[in-house]
Amino acid sequence: MNKKSFADHIKKYAVTYLFIMLSVFFIIVSGMDIHYVASQLLLRLNRNAFIVLALIIPIIAGMGINFAITIGAMAAQIGLLLTISCGVTGIPGILMAGFITLVLGSLFGFLIGRLLNKMKGQETIGSMILGYFANGAYQLLFLFIFGSLIPLSDKVTIVGATGVQNTLNLTGSVGLYKAVDGILQVPFLTGLYVLCLCAAAFAVIQYTRKKISLRRMAVTVGVVVFFAALTLVPAIGDIFRKTDRHNAITVPVITWLLIGFLCLFNSTVMSTRLGQKFRAVGQSQTVANAAGIDVDRTRVIAIMLSTVLAGWGQIVFMQSDGIGTFQTYAAHEQVGLYAGAAILVGGASIDRATNTQALIGTFLFHSLFITAQSAASNLFGDSAVGEYFRAFLSYGVIALALVIYAWRASKKKKEGSVDLNALAKN
Amino acid sequence: MSLSVENKHTDPESKKGLSGRRIFGFVLLGIAAVLIVLAVIGYIMAGSGKSVASLDDMRTQAVLHAASDGLVDSIVAQARQDKLKELRGAKDFRSRGQDAINAELDAAGDAARAEAEALYANPTVEDRTGLFNSIESLESALRAFGTLKESERGRYSELYVKLVDSIGDWTDLTGKAGDDDEKLFSLLTDIVPELGNADNAHLKPAFIRLCRDMSDKEHAREEAEIRSGLVSAMAGAVGDFSALEGLDDDALWEELIRKVPEIEGNERFRDDLLAEAKRRAAAAASGETVEETVKDEGADTVYETQTDYTYFAASDQLKKLEEDNEAAFGALWGELVTVIPDLNNLSSKLQKSMRTSIEDIVWPGSDDFATRYATYTGETGDKGIGFSMKLPASAEKLLVGGIALMLLGLVLVGWNFLTSRFGVPRTIITLFFLYLCLAAVLYDISLPMMMGDILVRMGMYGILVLAMMPGIQSGIGLNMGMTIGCIAGLLGVVMSLQFNMTGFPGLIFACLVGMVVAVPLGIAYSKLLNRMKGSEMTISTYVGFSFVALMCIGWMMLPFNNPKIIWLLSGHGLRVTHSLLNSYAHILDGFLAFEVLGVKVPTGLLLVFLLCCFVMWLFSRSRTGIAMTAAGSNPRFAEASGISVDRMRTIGTTLSTVIAAVGIVIYSQAFGYAQLYNAPRQLGFIAASAILIGGATVRKARVGHVIFGVFLFEGVLVLGQQIANSAVAGGGLSEVMRIMISNGIILYALTQSGGASRE
Repeated sequence: MNKKSFADHIKKYAVTYLFIMLSVFFIIVSGMDIHYVASQLLLRLNRNAFIVLALIIPIIAGMGINFAITIGAMAAQIGLLLTISCGVTGIPGILMAGFITLVLGSLFGFLIGRLLNKMKGQETIGSMILGYFANGAYQLLFLFIFGSLIPLSDKVTIVGATGVQNTLNLTGSVGLYKAVDGILQVPFLTGLYVLCLCAAAFAVIQYTRKKISLRRMAVTVGVVVFFAALTLVPAIGDIFRKTDRHNAITVPVITWLLIGFLCLFNSTVMSTRLGQKFRAVGQSQTVANAAGIDVDRTRVIAIMLSTVLAGWGQIVFMQSDGIGTFQTYAAHEQVGLYAGAAILVGGASIDRATNTQALIGTFLFHSLFITAQSAASNLFGDSAVGEYFRAFLSYGVIALALVIYAWRASKKKKEGSVDLNALAKN
Repeated sequence: MSLSVENKHTDPESKKGLSGRRIFGFVLLGIAAVLIVLAVIGYIMAGSGKSVASLDDMRTQAVLHAASDGLVDSIVAQARQDKLKELRGAKDFRSRGQDAINAELDAAGDAARAEAEALYANPTVEDRTGLFNSIESLESALRAFGTLKESERGRYSELYVKLVDSIGDWTDLTGKAGDDDEKLFSLLTDIVPELGNADNAHLKPAFIRLCRDMSDKEHAREEAEIRSGLVSAMAGAVGDFSALEGLDDDALWEELIRKVPEIEGNERFRDDLLAEAKRRAAAAASGETVEETVKDEGADTVYETQTDYTYFAASDQLKKLEEDNEAAFGALWGELVTVIPDLNNLSSKLQKSMRTSIEDIVWPGSDDFATRYATYTGETGDKGIGFSMKLPASAEKLLVGGIALMLLGLVLVGWNFLTSRFGVPRTIITLFFLYLCLAAVLYDISLPMMMGDILVRMGMYGILVLAMMPGIQSGIGLNMGMTIGCIAGLLGVVMSLQFNMTGFPGLIFACLVGMVVAVPLGIAYSKLLNRMKGSEMTISTYVGFSFVALMCIGWMMLPFNNPKIIWLLSGHGLRVTHSLLNSYAHILDGFLAFEVLGVKVPTGLLLVFLLCCFVMWLFSRSRTGIAMTAAGSNPRFAEASGISVDRMRTIGTTLSTVIAAVGIVIYSQAFGYAQLYNAPRQLGFIAASAILIGGATVRKARVGHVIFGVFLFEGVLVLGQQIANSAVAGGGLSEVMRIMISNGIILYALTQSGGASRE
């Protein structure tokens, strides 16, 4: 590895390294129990990763951060509302909500895509304002149309008034709380060992099938063994094990499998014809158009996929979140902001994103989220500062990423014009 | 560019003559004409003596009906009660179901009703003159009483609002006065001299009581504030609550005091805080987090002081009129008893409730034909009175409906002309505004009062909207980051509060500080935007958001120390909302204010707004202004003719930031409160939607767009809010409307500007 590429790497992932340092600093300063931080992080990672992963396809298709995933979240909330109203519980309930989300999400995604095609180059801001606009429509629907024009059961409406209740409960007889998470919970360490084993086995198989080099296999196995061995160190292993101070950390297997499937989907779709189209459109619409790709249609498909996936992500989030109730009128509001900030923290940019970046970003963003309040309270003697710092982080990282991207683009444009001249000479 | 394309597209259509849309428009115009003619006939009939006479007859009938109806109802209720008593006495009462008992009660009630109706319904009166005259005299008594009461309540309300609006610190007043009511009242008269007037003497005890109650409430609020401050301090300082699980109360309290020093000395919250800590500890133990949420204060919530009439007291004159009223009703009651003697058997409670219903019929509060007709038919349920009554009664509805259809018809007929001239959104929103005016007439909302509100809001938001203009002209588009300027202005406001400045000096100081701070911020911000050509709107939005969030921390950390503006508890950090009532709230609104045709004109406020517009207009006519507009509309051409585009963009952005700083100061003085932290976040969106509604695009803006836009936008919001409140129970609809209009118009502008032109 030479010096230049290392410097480039640092430059490219400056934001990520900055956040890694910030995270470590915050975890130390906050003085929080490491077990607590770890358990919270795992919880938040499995709640939020799905939504963040839903942002990848539109980024690759050149549509920037799709802040309109809030609309997918709204579709999911409509789905959950109808499910609760019909009284379907457990896995069938989740499936029903998921199906409604699929239908509504596709429809909304189609409309969003059509609209964004009319504002090319302004998709980021356009999708954000579209999210605000849709929030208005959502309020209208939930306050004035549900329960009057569209009858619902009185489990979700307010008796003697119009509109849906302020908070919806997923626990108890509704039976949706932890419906996915609760299917199979294993201790974190067990899960980790199984995962390591699978990864190592996969690497060996790939090697024997001559798909990867010996060196690559050795590195993979080495990393896996290293992580597994790390947990054998008592100080680290005890974070996750049951001790006299705390319970063992468990992870919901099915949720993680879903996240895994989505990662797999994101990477396999890229090798299909459709994925090639996404990439081509993302790189240059003019070139893609010349190559006979229907640019507008491809963009609409990208947004439809993103919207539906975000909706499912919101269902995953809802069934796991908090104590099993959600704010009917506000639960979707910050979805776009937090997911967008998370993926950018992970090193994605406006036109590049990978699964790894999304996962790392979610991890880092939420580690800051958990610790910010205590850290700020210890640093400045005021916990409210921590709350504001979190908001600043979310907006600031998006602003920073946008600035870096726009700056690079304008730089590239200058270089590009030179290249064009050179081409003309040839 | 886009305009000419549109014209080419629409021209052939209009040449074809009658399109389907125009035909439909003409049909609507025809229907509208018929409706309006019917309405005019109705109004003429309503004025004729014949209709009024039969209306008076209807009233007599309604009064008789109300009396007999009440009597029948009371007999039925009595019968049901008797039956219930009888059933209770029976042995099998408990074994019988609720439904069976109800059925039996209903049967008894129905039987009694049939019997009573045969006796009393449709009482026949040979000679109605006595009844008629006593109704007339009751009406005039009620009218005099009602008018005076209305005016006294109005005067009370005026005093109330004045008092509540100008007192920021009630506890301070009661603290100064102690238990001495006289002293308290003299303090109040110092603030509102009108209270001391002789004709307000009867209100004196009321206002003393009001002041004491307000002071108590304020004290409670402060306590609650301290409590929630302690809770959040605790949440932050403790962090991981699971460590606190299982401690007993005293140990837990010790631990909390050790970790959160602020808690010491606040023993009165001990139980609350302990419970909260335990709740969190339990949640932490089960692996869940309690989310801390910072409440977003909406920037657009205007607190208007609502008069609380529970303190209202009647004057002697009003009391005397009430007695007259009593006598007149006595006479009418006498007449009614001669017709239906059994009325005397009613209990006094039932007589009282019958009295209110009869009084409501005799004087429904207005001479309006439709109201009277609706009241009388509502009582008797008899609508079978011919066309001659129905037409005048519904004249207003016919007229409003006719005008509404006419407007729609006109818009449809002239669609091509209107949209090419004003654009689609402006046409639709103007039509919507006119419809809201019509709806206001239907809902009896006073249009002049609304107009006054609209003018105030225009002045309030006007300069903020004006701040959008130089941004658009210089080519950076919608400057969503104008919130940077707003924060500079807010800094000026809190500095004026820090130094206890009041009146015009305070206001001017705040403006100047805001402008001075805004200049370097604006220049730095514009340097950033100059490197980001093509994506200014996205960048400026997020830079604005980030700056607001950063300043949230700033407001907490800045070394302000005037106890009036910082948090009581922690002793540092600015509060969220700052009342300007004791400094310079509404001084511009009140300056040279006058009333014309019932519209209160906030002269000073509007003058400042128009002055700023004028200066901006002059600037855009100046050399620099012209160069700036050129740089914005065609940067390449401008560059070629020797204009530095970057310099012009810097001037435009800085100007926008500075105007925003002034704008927020004026906004806060008109609002009466300065709001910090997250409050300014959405102001950029509000300003952007207003100027777009006024007809600006992301590339072109004029002063006229600002003035028209802010009028239309605020007009729609003010009227929409009132109408939504009277049409739909429970708020929310107007907020939904605001969100959708405001974001919808920005989306529309984006679709017009972006599109294929980029890349």
